[in-house]
Amino acid sequence: MTNITLSGNQVLEIASFSGIKVYQIKTDKFKTNSVNIFFHDNLCRENASKNALLPAVLRRGSVNYPTIQDISLKLEELYGAAFDCGITKKGENQIIQFYLDFISDKYAKAEEDLTKKAFDLLFEIITRPITQKGVFKKEYLEQEAKNLKELIESRVNDKVQYGVDKCLEVMCEDEPFGIFDYGNIEDIGSINESNLYEHYKYFLETLPIYVFISGDIKEEKVGYIIDKLKQIKRGDIKKIQEVSIENHVSEVKEVTEQMNVNQAKLSIGFRTNTRPNSENYYKLMLYNSILGGGIHSKLFQNVREKNGMAYYVFSRLEKFKGLMVISGGIEISNKDKAYEVIVKQLEDMKNGNISDYEFESSVKSIETGIKSLKDSQLQVVDFNLSQIIAGTKDSPDDIIDKVKGLTREDVMDVAKNIEMDTVYFLTSK
Amino acid sequence: MDIKTIEYKNIDEVMYTYEHKSGLKCFVVPKKGYSKKFATFATHYGSINSEFIVPGENEITRVPDGIAHFLEHKLFEQKDGSVMDKFSQLGSNPNAYTSFAQTAYLFSCTDKFDENFKLLLDYVQNPYITEESVEKEKDIIGQEIRMYDDNANWRVFFNLLGAFYEKNPVRIDIAGTIESIGKINKDILYKCYNTFYHPSNMIVVVVGDVDASKVFEQINQSITVSSAKPEIERIFPDESDNINKSYVEQELAVSMPLFQMGYKDTGFCSKGIECLMRETTVKILLEMIMGRSSKLYNELYNEGLINSSFEFDYSIEENYAYSAFGGESKDPIKVKERLLEEITSLQQHGLNRETFERIRRAHKGRNVKQLNSVERIAHNFVSVYFKGANMFDYMETYDKITFEYANKVFNEHFTADKLAMSVIKPA
Repeated sequence: MTNITLSGNQVLEIASFSGIKVYQIKTDKFKTNSVNIFFHDNLCRENASKNALLPAVLRRGSVNYPTIQDISLKLEELYGAAFDCGITKKGENQIIQFYLDFISDKYAKAEEDLTKKAFDLLFEIITRPITQKGVFKKEYLEQEAKNLKELIESRVNDKVQYGVDKCLEVMCEDEPFGIFDYGNIEDIGSINESNLYEHYKYFLETLPIYVFISGDIKEEKVGYIIDKLKQIKRGDIKKIQEVSIENHVSEVKEVTEQMNVNQAKLSIGFRTNTRPNSENYYKLMLYNSILGGGIHSKLFQNVREKNGMAYYVFSRLEKFKGLMVISGGIEISNKDKAYEVIVKQLEDMKNGNISDYEFESSVKSIETGIKSLKDSQLQVVDFNLSQIIAGTKDSPDDIIDKVKGLTREDVMDVAKNIEMDTVYFLTSK
Repeated sequence: MDIKTIEYKNIDEVMYTYEHKSGLKCFVVPKKGYSKKFATFATHYGSINSEFIVPGENEITRVPDGIAHFLEHKLFEQKDGSVMDKFSQLGSNPNAYTSFAQTAYLFSCTDKFDENFKLLLDYVQNPYITEESVEKEKDIIGQEIRMYDDNANWRVFFNLLGAFYEKNPVRIDIAGTIESIGKINKDILYKCYNTFYHPSNMIVVVVGDVDASKVFEQINQSITVSSAKPEIERIFPDESDNINKSYVEQELAVSMPLFQMGYKDTGFCSKGIECLMRETTVKILLEMIMGRSSKLYNELYNEGLINSSFEFDYSIEENYAYSAFGGESKDPIKVKERLLEEITSLQQHGLNRETFERIRRAHKGRNVKQLNSVERIAHNFVSVYFKGANMFDYMETYDKITFEYANKVFNEHFTADKLAMSVIKPA
């Protein structure tokens, strides 16, 4: 067992074999334990939709729990344990997540072996799906393919999120990052129960896997989990590609989309030319916080408070692809005025027109945010997963220290590398 | 100081309570080992309080829709700028929210709790509202309203409230409309503030790794009450037991139809343990009928009539209660027919005791999970408190509910003539 400390004394890598890494987060402050299992693939057209469809089909039934009803009944029996699976995109990495959380043993009756039963269920759903003629059940495949199409189509329902995502996708339409987390509708039609099953074998055998066990769990149970994971048949582990981040913009793209909306969304995408594992990344974090990372930020104070043009406006980093996006919901007729105010903030950032208040409150905001994540099992897991994917080994405290050591010059320095790439405007018909 | 301690040994929680001489009730829930400290200062005043009698007056004051929420925005304004800046300087995250029956002002921090807490107690007690800032806020809230106008999930739900209620102010959008907020001015805002923001109508809840007696001591120092406790007369219009409309439809830019349907509840007790009992029972019943382990959910899912967006819930406050369930569906009417069939069938054949026990146990487990989060605890605490109960009472509530009681509630709540439906169709 390897004992590489990932972050302070809280998270430990406790096992590593066949491209599966197991981490334990020991804590007794929560009332629940959780197991998160992540599969890591390159985000690419070939696999994106298949990877999205796979967990949807797997959660339909396993050998001993062949329907959603059976799985749900089991979860209820396990004191209302919660299971779910889904997809996230971190840069050009597609992450497929399965998790189960359940109350700690001490809150279940003494004779229940809750941790073991919960893990068995999760493990079975992932590794022993119900099959028909040696492949996935046709009925399940067809229903989930339809659900996936509808899920992708329903992106337009959440205008706030859509306004942000669409901007970045248009910006990167010729790069893997331009692919939606759940893939493309066009690719779903060619997936059937046989080829998805083939893909499943490849998925289970070759993709890097990260397992996080969090909570107050006895050593023997942890040992049990590791032993079971070792049963997964593994082959040559897939190499994850490095993402290209450097991009110098020759001409800003302008895109307008029309929909029946009451409020317009203005989103601006940027190339930061900053890798997540570089020393400049911490400067970029601070830059982003000052610009649009909360109520203390320039965007909030100027677009919303001073000019009354928005209820929400923010800037956000897409760390792994080196992007930044600004987005706000505004009156349709205020597009040019809002754009002007935003551009002024960007110029102020470049010129170092940053007040002491703006600078200090941003540093503090980052510090508070990072300290706070320790209070959420899911956030701690996500923090560590992000470190793995970025190829960094920072603890939460490391990041706080680095940010605290930065100056205005550092912020101006990283501002030089940030280039506006795309202006996206969602407006009414 | 008279501090009461209540231990909840079976869930490893403790609660400290203290009542300030002004009538302000204070609670501390310690969470050792947590980084965040969370404090909320809330008033029993929300969007449903659109009619009341101002202390010292005789006539009923009717205020513009959206004013409780508007006032919430305005309290952040101080003579020397926005109090949000002061919180930012302390590195904490301030926020506020307005719901139907309460308005809460809060912050979370990992450091400098005392300074942040003092700031919270001070600003909420000291409104500073000018005509100029009122006008500016109209633009900001206008954008908030527009954002929600485009939100199909929000609209399908509010349209359902409109279908249930003809007069009850719960049907009004919490932020109001662009027109209604146009009528708001400084004087009306102060009227609302003076009526509802007396400490005797408020509570303070602090959750985190704090020292309870220090917290109460700080409250003692910070609460400055100069006026006598006002008699608050809340006026609610007479609402019929019947539903307003059985069906309402709207078009928005969505990819497929959304629906929410439910039962308007009547004859319920909205205070204390009885209120919690009804709430937990209806929620258990809903899960029995249409939860993920139910025959109905699985049939509808397999037939492609619903997907994993399907959810259900029950809400109860002092003057309204309803169940609401729905999600995306290509054929909401068909889902409604099948739901009604199932409910009728269950009413004829009876509920299953084993199912009830199993789901009750699952709910108990899920209830414990909520205690992981300081925000969750504080949020739930406030909402349950104003219903005359304590969120830790849920544990005993689950044990109090019998299968027979569940049957009684089943027959009372799920009555066909109390059913209404709201649909959002693609434009």
